[in-house]
Amino acid sequence: MANKAFGIITSAANYIHVEGMHDYRPIGAFSFVGRYRVVDFPLSNMSNSGIDRIQVYINSRPRSIIDHIGSGRHYNVNSKRGRIQLLFTESNTPGGLYDTDIEAMMENMEQIERMTNPYVVIAPSYMVYREDYSKLLEDHVASGADISLLYYKHSNAKEEYLNAGTLNLNRQKGVTSITRNLGDAKEKNIFMDTYIMSKELLIQLIKEAKAYSSLYTLSQIVSDKCAELDVRGVQHKGYFAAILSLKDYYNANRRLLSQKDAEDLFKPNWPIYTRTTDSCPTKYYECSDVRNCLVSNGCLIEGTVENSVIGRGVRIKKGAVVKNSIILAYTTIGENVHVENEIVDKWANITHVKEVVAPEGHPGYVKRNDTL
Amino acid sequence: MSQTNMLAMILAGGRGSRLHELTSKVAKPAVSYGGKYRIIDFPLSNCANSGIDVVGVLTQYESVLLNSYVAAGGRWGLDTRDSGVFVLTPREKADEGLDVYRGTADAISQNIDFIDTYDPEYLLVLSGDHIYKMNYAKMLDYHKANKADATIAVIGVPMKEASRFGIMNTDETGRIVEFEEKPANPKSNLASMGIYIFNWKLMRKMLLDDMKNPNSSHDFGKDFIPVMLNNGKALYAYEFKGYWKDVGTIDSLWEANMDLLDDKNELNLSDHSWKIYTEDSSSIPQYIGADAKIHRAYITQGAVVKGEVHNSVLFTNSTVEAGAKVIDTVLMPGAVVEEGAVVTRALVADGVRIGRNAVVGSADSENILLVAKRVKGEE
Repeated sequence: MANKAFGIITSAANYIHVEGMHDYRPIGAFSFVGRYRVVDFPLSNMSNSGIDRIQVYINSRPRSIIDHIGSGRHYNVNSKRGRIQLLFTESNTPGGLYDTDIEAMMENMEQIERMTNPYVVIAPSYMVYREDYSKLLEDHVASGADISLLYYKHSNAKEEYLNAGTLNLNRQKGVTSITRNLGDAKEKNIFMDTYIMSKELLIQLIKEAKAYSSLYTLSQIVSDKCAELDVRGVQHKGYFAAILSLKDYYNANRRLLSQKDAEDLFKPNWPIYTRTTDSCPTKYYECSDVRNCLVSNGCLIEGTVENSVIGRGVRIKKGAVVKNSIILAYTTIGENVHVENEIVDKWANITHVKEVVAPEGHPGYVKRNDTL
Repeated sequence: MSQTNMLAMILAGGRGSRLHELTSKVAKPAVSYGGKYRIIDFPLSNCANSGIDVVGVLTQYESVLLNSYVAAGGRWGLDTRDSGVFVLTPREKADEGLDVYRGTADAISQNIDFIDTYDPEYLLVLSGDHIYKMNYAKMLDYHKANKADATIAVIGVPMKEASRFGIMNTDETGRIVEFEEKPANPKSNLASMGIYIFNWKLMRKMLLDDMKNPNSSHDFGKDFIPVMLNNGKALYAYEFKGYWKDVGTIDSLWEANMDLLDDKNELNLSDHSWKIYTEDSSSIPQYIGADAKIHRAYITQGAVVKGEVHNSVLFTNSTVEAGAKVIDTVLMPGAVVEEGAVVTRALVADGVRIGRNAVVGSADSENILLVAKRVKGEE
C-alpha cells in the first residue's frame, strides 16, 4: 500500500521560533532524547511504512541537517529504488514573510510532478510521534475522503503548543476549518501538520494557494477548501510532541523519562533510525549517582544526575549535580557545578560558574559552544 | 588500494573452544566484547583507520553469523569504490575439489587468486580474535625502512609467562635471528602478536612451495616463518607498546571487559581519532531508573538499569530489574537479571535470563562463572 505514496517532510512555519536552539539549526536537526534528531522520527515513520521516496524540505541553516541525513542510507531506504531528496528554497529569507511551505513546494514543483506515486504523505520535521502511514493511507483510500489530517487531542492547550494549528471538527470527524491555538481553551485538537491526499490534489492546492496569495500556507488553503472537499480528521493516540518553543522541547524530552511514554514511542518492531557516531559505551565512575535518566553513549559520569536526558559524549565531573535538565552532546559540566532546569546546548563547557539554575517550569538555555 | 598498496587478510576461522558455550554457535571473532563490540571489530577498525582499503576475512568454523556480520563493510567505512570487506570461506575448485583450510598459511594459499586481483605490494596477515588498537601504516613504514622480507609485530610479555607464547629472539637491529614456539627456557620476552607484513611477490612464491610440501602443516608459526628464517630472509620484529589481549578463556574475556573500568587502561575507546566501529544498533539510550545505584560501570545503549550495578560491564539491551544486584559481572547483549536476583563474578551469555531472587556466582570463586543457560528463579 505505502509504495502508492511518496513522502514530504516540511519545515516549521515562519512564525515558529524556538529560543536559542533555533539560531543554530532548523528544528528537524534538534537533538532529541540524546541520540536522535527530531527529523529521525518522520523519516523512520515513513521508512517503516514502506515509503521509499522522501523529499525533505529545508529552509534555513542547512549544515547540520545535511550532515545528519547525508545519503539517507541509515534510514533503511533502498538505495537504488528509493531516495531521500534534500530540497532547498533559495528565494526566501529563513523566517521571513515569504518562507512558507507553499513557496518551498512551488519552487520544487518539478520534483513533485515527477513522482510516480499517486498519493502523498506530508509530515512535519518538528513533531515527534509514531504512526504507521501505510495503515493511514489504506484507511484514507477506503474512506473516499479527499484529504485526511492527523490530530492529537491535547488537554493542556492553554499552556502548550501555542500557535500550532487546531482542527475544528464536526461530529463525523469532518474538518470544518483549521485555526491556530491561541491558548484560549484547555482541550484542543492539535493539528499534527500531517496530510494524506492524492499527488494531483496537492499540486492543484499549491498552485491555487500561490495564485491567491504569495504568503498562503498549505493549512490555510486546506482550511478554505473544507466546505467543498471531503477533509477528515484522524485521531492519533499515544506519545505526541510538537516542538514549537523551548519549553515544548524541554517537556517533549523529559516526558520520555516516563517508561510508559518511552515504550509507546519506541517499539521494537518500529525502530527509529539515526546516524551513528560510533561512540563507545558510557562510563560510570565509583562516585557517580544517576537516577531516572536517559543516557547516551560516550559519556563519562562522575557526578550526580537526576531526572535528566544526557546526550552523547557528555562529561559530568566530580561533585557536579545535574537535575531536571537536557544536556546536549559533547558538553562538559565541571567539578562542583550545579545545573538545574536547564537546556545546555552542544559543546558547552560549564566550569567557572558554579550555579546555573532556572526556576522550575521555565527552563533556561545555555548556548552552543559557550564557556561559562 | 589507493592508500597503502597493502591488502589485509584476517584469519577468523578458529572456534575458540576454551570459551565453551559462547562459541558453540559463533566463531570466536564474533564474540561480543566491551558493551557494544564484537572482537573482530578491532582488526577491521584498525584496518579502516590505517588506510587499508581491501580486507579479506578468512572464515571457517560456524561462520554464518560472522560472514553476514563482516560482509556489511559499510560498518567500518570499507564500502567505497576502491574498498571492501570480502568473506573468504573454503570453496570447491575445478582442479582440487573442496578442501577446508588446513592451516593459517594454507588459508592464504587457497586465496592467492583473490589477492592477485588486487596486485598488492604488501600483504598484512592478522588474527581476528585479538583486542588492541594499532596503526598498521606505521608498521609498514618500519617494514619498508628495514627493507625487510617480512615484519612480525611483537609485544613484551612478563618473562615468567613467555613460555606460553611464540617468542622472537632478535639482534640489536631488531632483526629476528630465531623463533621459538612456546620455549621452556625463553631467551627473550618478545611474543609474536600474530600480525605479519609480507612482500607479496616473495610470499606468493613461498606459499606455492609450502602447498606442495607434504611435511608442512601449513601454519605460519610452525612452518612458514621457520622456513623463511632458514632461507636467510630478512625478518624484523616490530615492537608494539599498548593494550593487547588474546581473550582465549572465559576468565580472560571477563578480565578484558573489566579492564575497561580501569582509568589507566590503555585501550582508550573514547579516543575520537581512532574509533572502533561496529554494528549500529537502533536501541534507545540507556535508561537508569529512579532507584538505581551504579558505581563503576561501563554501560551501553539499550541497557535498562533499575537495580544495583557495581564494577560491571552491561552490553546492548541488557536489563537489571528492580532490587537486583550485579557485581563484578559482564552481562552480554540481551541478558536479563530479574527482580531481586544477585549475580557476582559471572559472565552472563547473550540473551540469558537469571530468574527472580536467584543467587548466581560468588565473590571468592577462583574462576569466573559462565552462565549460558536460563537460571530459574522463584515463581
